[in-house]
Amino acid sequence: MTGGKARKKIRLKDVCLNPDEPLVTIMVDDLMPLPSPLEGKEKKKPYPDLSEDKKKNYECSLDGVSAISLQKPKSKEEEKKLVRQFLEGLRKLLSENDNWPFCQPLIQSLESCVHCQTCSDACPVYISSGRQEIYRPTFKSEILRRIINKYIKKRGKFLSKLTDDDIDLNWPTIARLAELSYRCTLCRRCAQYCPLGSDNGLIGRELRKLFSQEMGIAPKELHDSGTIQQLKIGASTGISPPAFQGMIEFMEDEIEEKLGKRIKVPVDKEGADILLIHNSGEFMSWIENPAAFAIIFEEAGLSWTLSSEIYGYEATNYGTWYDDIQFARISIKQVEVAKRLKVKKIVMGECGHAHKGLIVLADRILIDEMNFPRESYLPLMEDIVLNNRIKLDPQKNDFPVTLHDPCNFVRLMGIVKPQRNILKKICPKFREMEPHGLENYCCGGGSGFAIMSSMNFKEWRENISSRMKLKQILEAFKDVLDPEIKKYVCAPCSNCKGAIRDILNSYDLWETHSIYYGGLVELIANAMVDMKKPFIDWEWH
Amino acid sequence: MGAIIFFIFYGSILFFIITTVIRVKRFINTPVHLHWELYKGSSIYEQKEWWGKTHNTFGKKLWSMILDIISLREFYHRNRRFWYFLYSFHLGVYLLILWHAFFLFNTLVIQIVESVFIWGVLWGHITTGLTFFGIVGIFIKRVGDEDLKIYYPPIHYLKWPFLAFILLEAFYSVHFYFGDIFEDLLLQFHPNIATPAHLLFASVLLIYLPYSHVFQLFFRYYHSLRWDDVPNMRGSNIEKRVKEHLERPLTWSAPHISKGKRWREVVSE
Repeated sequence: MTGGKARKKIRLKDVCLNPDEPLVTIMVDDLMPLPSPLEGKEKKKPYPDLSEDKKKNYECSLDGVSAISLQKPKSKEEEKKLVRQFLEGLRKLLSENDNWPFCQPLIQSLESCVHCQTCSDACPVYISSGRQEIYRPTFKSEILRRIINKYIKKRGKFLSKLTDDDIDLNWPTIARLAELSYRCTLCRRCAQYCPLGSDNGLIGRELRKLFSQEMGIAPKELHDSGTIQQLKIGASTGISPPAFQGMIEFMEDEIEEKLGKRIKVPVDKEGADILLIHNSGEFMSWIENPAAFAIIFEEAGLSWTLSSEIYGYEATNYGTWYDDIQFARISIKQVEVAKRLKVKKIVMGECGHAHKGLIVLADRILIDEMNFPRESYLPLMEDIVLNNRIKLDPQKNDFPVTLHDPCNFVRLMGIVKPQRNILKKICPKFREMEPHGLENYCCGGGSGFAIMSSMNFKEWRENISSRMKLKQILEAFKDVLDPEIKKYVCAPCSNCKGAIRDILNSYDLWETHSIYYGGLVELIANAMVDMKKPFIDWEWH
Repeated sequence: MGAIIFFIFYGSILFFIITTVIRVKRFINTPVHLHWELYKGSSIYEQKEWWGKTHNTFGKKLWSMILDIISLREFYHRNRRFWYFLYSFHLGVYLLILWHAFFLFNTLVIQIVESVFIWGVLWGHITTGLTFFGIVGIFIKRVGDEDLKIYYPPIHYLKWPFLAFILLEAFYSVHFYFGDIFEDLLLQFHPNIATPAHLLFASVLLIYLPYSHVFQLFFRYYHSLRWDDVPNMRGSNIEKRVKEHLERPLTWSAPHISKGKRWREVVSE
């Protein structure tokens, strides 16, 4: 329908019309330009069209993308049933009884918006997409607000006209809202910018919750292979306790090769001070990250342990992004492991949403003895590095390093300084991205996007939601783009790391400009004087 | 006629107070929400074993609130083009409120002297001008700026002309009321309905106010929605409220949620 420069203005009521046609078709010319060396070097289409067969069977009428593989209803009766379910879910969302965890900020967000659009300029997806109306933070919120006014509040004809009642609640509206709730990374930069405190990120999350908790609709990667699998097997990656034990042995071999001596990684050590929980994706994709933790903790002489018990080796909690019940179930199981091990506290490894989830969000789920001490690894690492509890040589990190701030650490948790204090001490060529800290941009993989790859969603993510991050990385390294100079993007969060890996890979930036990525602890281990070999091996994976 | 007007005016004050109290109370009594706040800067989570540290930022929050309300600094930093008119309007309104208080105080407590009165009238003129400038500016921007026009429901367009009308009408009635003091012969031609009309329109404004966005400021700062950061400690009031919520029945219908059970039971499965 749209694309290129002659862009048709999208109106809110378009959401309920023309179910067989996407509201927008986005071309590369529409997007925010990328800086050198990628300027003008992109394909014409940011993401491929779905096959005719998929278009026939799956909903993609928002922007031609299917993030959640939502099947089209087979009959009018099924459509009507889904509309009824949605309306019922919406009532529950606004009810104190059914939605006690979030009804207060949700209602506040719905009522307080003054339509000043300050939030639009804060949203990386909206800006990166070339200001596509459908990605404006207020687009989905205003649709929801009008549906509530028309179908829940039922204000009467006159007042309804004055508050715009032009949106019909039909299946196309619902299908597009379902997809729209997965076009926002929940980075909540818009909420930070809103002068009235309206949280469009929360509205997106609550929409996701309505679909999951009432209609059973959620992306497979978050629900079936995510929280359901985690509750069944122990980890969203599918790692079982025996498989985890095998990975620990492999990790000890890796450590021996780099450190020059073998250490026994403590597992299930009762009564240790610290239970360290990693995102299990680290064991699958970046074993050097838990290895670096093990080396640092052992060299610093900490009393710590990992757990091989079901739920004890997985920090992720995808419920944070879409489902309160799944979120609460997983949080409780993680704490139960710590209690059984009789440790003094849980320390979260490099996983942003696990930080926000278990340390902050869950504290109003965990009561009495379940309210167990939980903290981030960052203040602990800051203490180790700044107080010289291990021997470090910053010259070992004599290459350009920039820091990606995971939204969950900074804006959503207020951990801003420790990571900077560490990098300033161990990386002589550290440089900030702009903007950074509380005003950072999301990696584009937030709220589950990094692990979602349904149909053409991965390409959408790499070219639209991660675009701002790619721009920031290139600008941070603009004076050292020479491929002879190795550069390091420090992303201290597993999901962010995955999203950054994908954008660097998508544009061949390691091969062509030597831009590498990794966590924070790898840099600390790399700076350790006692390492036999450099910890960072600069091999793309 | 006069009695009816006064009845409406005092009634609207009463309505304003009661409605405000009810709305604030209802909002405060909504269930405590999960710890979802945003952060303006470094938090206690930057410290090891943060749960043992003192956490009291009330003074900071109060100061932040005062600065925000007085200067609309978030609009200033994030949306400057809108701020100029918005600030003119708000500053005008704040000064007009003070102006009313000033005259009330002078009338009730001390005898007004003419020099004070003249300064007061000057103050009134300037603040009326500021407010009016803000209203007209906002309205023009709302109509002309594509980004601001978008999604703005028709009912809000009525608000600004209504406010402008009240302001002009108030200006007119004040001149009428004080006309003889200034010996302005022209003012003698004002119909004597001006003051009652002002009271009537002011009543409408008072009835509208509890439903306006101004009151979101209260909810935002006093009810822990955005910047507040109060961890749930064992034995705290938050914990007590959470316990009550966990006993609520869980009614969501998706297949992964057991039916007919309470929150506590389902999440512990």
